[in-house]
Amino acid sequence: MSIAILAAVALATGLGTVFLEDRHRSLAFAFGVAGGVAVLGIALVMPPEESLAIGGGGIVGTPLVRSLAVTWSASLLMLALLELGIGARPAVVGPSLIGLSAASIALATSDPASSMAFLAAGGVAGVVIPGLSGWIDGPSSASRLPTTGRGALAILGSGLLALAVIAWSASAAGPLGSGGIFGQDEGSLLGTGLALLVMVAAVAIRCGLIPLHVWAARFMEGVSPLAVPAAFSWGAAAFILIALPSSQVLLGPTAVGDVERLLIIGLSVVSLVLGGLAAMVHDDIEHVLGYSILQDAGIAVLAFASLTPDAAAAARDWLVASATVKTAFAAWAAVVRSTYGGHRLADLGGWARHSPALGIAFAGIIVAAVGLPGTALFEARSDLISGALPGIGPIIALLVALMPLVYLGRIALAGIAPVTTAIAAGPSGRPRRSAGRATGWSEGSRVQAIRLVPADLRANRAPLMALGVVVLAAMALATSIGGAGGS
Amino acid sequence: MTIALVAIILAIGAGAVVAVSTREPAAAAIGLAIALVGSALVADPLPSAAILGVRIVAGLLAATLVRSAVGGSESQPSPLGWPAEAMLATAGAVAGIGVALALEALSGATGLAGGPDSGSEWLTVMALATGAGTSLLVLGAASSIHGRPGMRRAIGLVLVTQAVLLIRVGIAGPAIDLEEIARAALLVATAATGAALARAGATSE
Repeated sequence: MSIAILAAVALATGLGTVFLEDRHRSLAFAFGVAGGVAVLGIALVMPPEESLAIGGGGIVGTPLVRSLAVTWSASLLMLALLELGIGARPAVVGPSLIGLSAASIALATSDPASSMAFLAAGGVAGVVIPGLSGWIDGPSSASRLPTTGRGALAILGSGLLALAVIAWSASAAGPLGSGGIFGQDEGSLLGTGLALLVMVAAVAIRCGLIPLHVWAARFMEGVSPLAVPAAFSWGAAAFILIALPSSQVLLGPTAVGDVERLLIIGLSVVSLVLGGLAAMVHDDIEHVLGYSILQDAGIAVLAFASLTPDAAAAARDWLVASATVKTAFAAWAAVVRSTYGGHRLADLGGWARHSPALGIAFAGIIVAAVGLPGTALFEARSDLISGALPGIGPIIALLVALMPLVYLGRIALAGIAPVTTAIAAGPSGRPRRSAGRATGWSEGSRVQAIRLVPADLRANRAPLMALGVVVLAAMALATSIGGAGGS
Repeated sequence: MTIALVAIILAIGAGAVVAVSTREPAAAAIGLAIALVGSALVADPLPSAAILGVRIVAGLLAATLVRSAVGGSESQPSPLGWPAEAMLATAGAVAGIGVALALEALSGATGLAGGPDSGSEWLTVMALATGAGTSLLVLGAASSIHGRPGMRRAIGLVLVTQAVLLIRVGIAGPAIDLEEIARAALLVATAATGAALARAGATSE
C-alpha cells in the first residue's frame, strides 16, 4: 500500500511542480521540495516487503524498490535544493518526481507489460521538460528543440520496443507457448535470441549507448547537469532493472546463444571503452559526466550476456550505486558551473582550494566511483565483467575501475592547481556572516536573528550548495559500499 | 459481433487517415479522436464499464492535448495526400491481419491451448486488433519521424503508441486492469509530449 501512496504523492507533487513552473516559480519550488520531503518520508517508513493486489495484478514491495525509492528521493530532494540555490527554472524536481513515481510502480508491478508502459509514460517527462526549459533559456541554439524531440522519441520508442518484445514473449506464439511456432529446436532458440537482441536494442536506445548516443550527448549539452540524473542515471537504471528480469523470466538464459552473447558484449565493450576514453579526453565537465554515465550503462548491459541470477543481482547493485554516484557528480558539476561560471578544466584551476567543501565532496565521489575491493560497487562491476568475459574479465575489470580514477583525477588535479583569476573572482566556498548582523546570536534579539536568516542564506549560498554536494557524496559512498541493500 | 468490429476497424483507419492528411487542425484532431476511441472498442466481449471509461477518456484526452497545442495556426497536410495514405493504411491492415492469422494457424498446428483466439470465425478479434495496429503503425511512423515538429508529428507519435498497444493485444491477448491504466497513462503522456513539442515548434517559427 505504501508504494501506491508514494507513487501517488510523487506524481501529484511532480505534476503540480511542472504546472506551476511557468508562472509561479517560488511556489513550484516549494511544492517540489515538499513533495520530495514527503516522498522521502514515505520511502523511509516503507516496509521492505509488502504486496497489494490491484487490477488483476500485484504491486509487490521489495528491498530493491525501497532502496531505489530512498536513494532517488533523497537525491532528488538535494537536487531540488541545489536548483533553488542556483536560481534556475525549476525544471528538475517536477520531472524527477514523476519519473520516481513511474519507476517505483513499474518496479513493484508483477506484470512486465504494465511495468514497461508505466516507465515509458513517466520517463519521457525527464527528457522533455528539462529539454524545453533549456531551449527556452537558450533559444539561440537552434538544435535544442530537435534534440529534445529526438530524446522523446528515444524514450518512447525504447519503451514501445520493449513492450512489443514482452507481448511477443507472452503470446501463444512466443517462447512460453509450449515451444510456440518454432517448436523446441533451433528455430525456437533463434526466435528467443532475436527477441533478446531487440530488448537489448531498446536498452541501448534508452541509455544512449554508443553508437546510439548522439541524442543523449546533444541533450546533455543543452540542459542543466542537475537534469541529467533523472533522465539518464535513474531513468536508465529503472529501465534496465525492468528489462533484465523480464528477459530472464520471459526468454530465459537459453536465449543467450554464442552470437547473441558476442553482439551484446560487443555493444557493451564499445560503450565501455569509447565512453571511458571520451570521458578521459574531454575538458568539458558536462561531457565527462555524460560519457561516464554512458560507460556505466555499458557495464550494466553485460548482465544481458548471461541472464543468470548472479548477473542480475550484480546489475542491481551496480545500477543503484552508479546512479547515486553520478547524481553526486552531476550536482558537483552544476554547483561548480553556477559558482564559478566555467565548465572547462582550463577555467577551473584551484576550484578545490577556493572551496574546500566541494573538494571534500569530490574526493568522496572519486572513492565512491572507483570503489574498493569488498565494496558493493567494485564487486558488482567485477562480477558483471568477469561473468561476461571469463578469463580476461578480471584484468578488464581492473582497467575499467581505473578509468574513473583518470577522468575524475584530471578534475581533481585542476582543483589543487594554483587558483586562477576566474576562480578567485567567484564567491568563496567558506561560510561567512551577512553584513547586516551587528550582534551575535546570544546578544541580539531572537526576532532580529530570524530576520537575518534570509540574508545569511544568501551570503552563504556557495558554501551551502557545497554542503549539499557533500551530502550527496556521502550518499554515493554509502551506496557504493552497500549497493542496492541486499535485494 | 465481427461485423461491428470490422466497422470499428474501418473507422479507426478512416480517422487515422484524416488525422495525418487533412489541412485543418480541427479535422485532424477529430480524426485522431475517432481513431483512438475506436481503438478503445476493439474487444470482444467489451471490457467492464470502468476499463472502457479509462480507455475512452484517455483517447479523448490525448486528442484534446494535441489539438490544444497548435490552435488554428498551423497547417501540416500529408505530402502524399489522403488517397496514398488510405492505400498505405489498407496495406498495413492487410499485412497485420495476415501475420496474425498465420501466427494463429501455426499456434493451432503446434497444438497450443489458448492461442491468440481459438474461436471458430476466421477473422478473429486478435487478427483485427493486429490489423488495426499495423495500419496505425504505417500511418504514424512516417508522420512521427519525418518533417518539422508540429501537430503532424504529435499525431504520428500518438498513432504509433496506439498501434503498439493494439498489436500487443493482438498477439498476446487482453490486458489486465492494471495494464489498462498503464496503457492509458502512456497514451496521454505521449500526447502531452507531442503537444509540448508542437507548441514549442510553433513558438519558434
